[in-house]
Amino acid sequence: MTKLQKIRNSLFGIAMMVAAVVMAYKPKDAYESVIVFMALGFFVTSIATLGYYFTMAKYMVGGRMILYRGVVLFDFAILTGSITDVPRFYVIIYLAVLHLFSGLVEILRSREARASGGRGWRLKLFHGIFNMSIAIGCIVLARRVNTAVYMYCFGIFYSGLIRVIQSFRKTTFVYIR
Amino acid sequence: MQEDFHYYGTYCAAYLAGYSHEESLDICYCAQFVDLCSTTFLSKIKAPTKAATTQLQLEMMDARTDIIGLQDITRIWASFHFLPRDLYAYKPKRTKRYLNKFRLICGPNGDLLEKTVRIAKDKPLQHAGIAMHVLADTWAHMYFAGTPSLVINNVDNSFFEIIEKDGEEIARPIRFRHNPSAPDDIEKGLYTNSLYQSNENSIMNLGHGRAGHFPDYSFAKYKYMPAWGDYMEVLKDNPSDYEKAFTQMVYALKYLRGEVESFNKDTYDTSVMEKYGDRIRSIIRKRQLNACADWKSFGEELSGESIEDFDITKYEDEYDLIPADSKNKSFIGKFIEGALLQKGMVTDEISKAGINHAGFVLPKELNLRKSG
Repeated sequence: MTKLQKIRNSLFGIAMMVAAVVMAYKPKDAYESVIVFMALGFFVTSIATLGYYFTMAKYMVGGRMILYRGVVLFDFAILTGSITDVPRFYVIIYLAVLHLFSGLVEILRSREARASGGRGWRLKLFHGIFNMSIAIGCIVLARRVNTAVYMYCFGIFYSGLIRVIQSFRKTTFVYIR
Repeated sequence: MQEDFHYYGTYCAAYLAGYSHEESLDICYCAQFVDLCSTTFLSKIKAPTKAATTQLQLEMMDARTDIIGLQDITRIWASFHFLPRDLYAYKPKRTKRYLNKFRLICGPNGDLLEKTVRIAKDKPLQHAGIAMHVLADTWAHMYFAGTPSLVINNVDNSFFEIIEKDGEEIARPIRFRHNPSAPDDIEKGLYTNSLYQSNENSIMNLGHGRAGHFPDYSFAKYKYMPAWGDYMEVLKDNPSDYEKAFTQMVYALKYLRGEVESFNKDTYDTSVMEKYGDRIRSIIRKRQLNACADWKSFGEELSGESIEDFDITKYEDEYDLIPADSKNKSFIGKFIEGALLQKGMVTDEISKAGINHAGFVLPKELNLRKSG
């Protein structure tokens, strides 16, 4: 990673953490922000997909599918941005299922890693159990209206933290002459 | 390619190049070890993990596809399994972003192959084994790149195997499925491949994953439309290519032994085919999932010695027991040095070509503690 990439990555990670804390601090106003972020996410992805098509995929056999995908994602962005009255309960269930599935996959992977002699199985197991705990937390606290916001904030904070840590990882490969 | 060619096939090539039985065993051990020396294995024996020459399926599932992850992946796969043929290849009306991936397409007889063989000269046998793995794979993995890329490595349904029926060659459609536990079915033309992922950098789009294991079978003759091929079909003739791989290995090993003065591209030791051509062709062309038994039998006939089966744990104890300051004198230690040398050379060449997918390298003597 170049220095510029490191700085950009760190700043983005810090911005994610700050946004997560601010939203968690004012959960009642944050729900609209979550919708806006999701719409923005779709929008950025659609633009990136279209950019990918015009710079790379249009030279590929069957690459037109990427163009269609970009257009559909752009539609999703507009649709999500216009949603304002989805019951929060459904959002919480969505988050719970997501974490439950991720947790299960991580636990299964930790078993595989342990069987093949890898060292990282404990961390995977921890991630798996942690994800499962969040899923259970979502279900138990489903009646509390701010749960979705807190869970979403936690996810953003965690991703931001990982970005910052990744930025400081040593990435140079030492060449032996 | 798989164990049959990398281990037993390389043994035969080494023996025919003039190496002794013991030396040939060391060379072929290292050629096969390239497919097993993963981060998981190295961390298990407490060896430097940056010397990994492959990634296990589990490791790849966990690999991040951000710039760091992609560079890790490309360093391993481009250096040892998909050696780029031409890092300065050009295609008109293509963006730099596209060309950077296009230039990583693997193929035989490139400049990097010459460098791969030459840097193994006057080095321990472990280096020769690594070079033979890389050389052999340039033939089997032709047209695929050792970096995740949908626009380069994807294949569609227009994939046909050329088989003989009633004395005539016919094109039979190949069907791909995504069940990793199901063995490939040669008779029905049913093979396991990786899932289609529209993400350019998905690990599913690494190398020939989208064509499954099929390109690794020596008997396979097929035609298909590579994603980068502008809707033109290419014909891949593995029996012919594997024959070239074998004779090029013999030539390269003769060079490494000092019997031949220089190593040049597109040069083969055809003398072995004059004597053993029928036998070698019959092994290569036999339709089977694993040709280990046939290659082993041929090797044992050549040397009159027994060839032990490959055992990944063979040198673990030696590495474990040797003092820390002498690790580089052990069998695995020498392999690690060879792997780092090859990885460094390829990464440096890719970087010098202006392609950032493998990262960049620094001379060891700079010893920058805070580098990168």
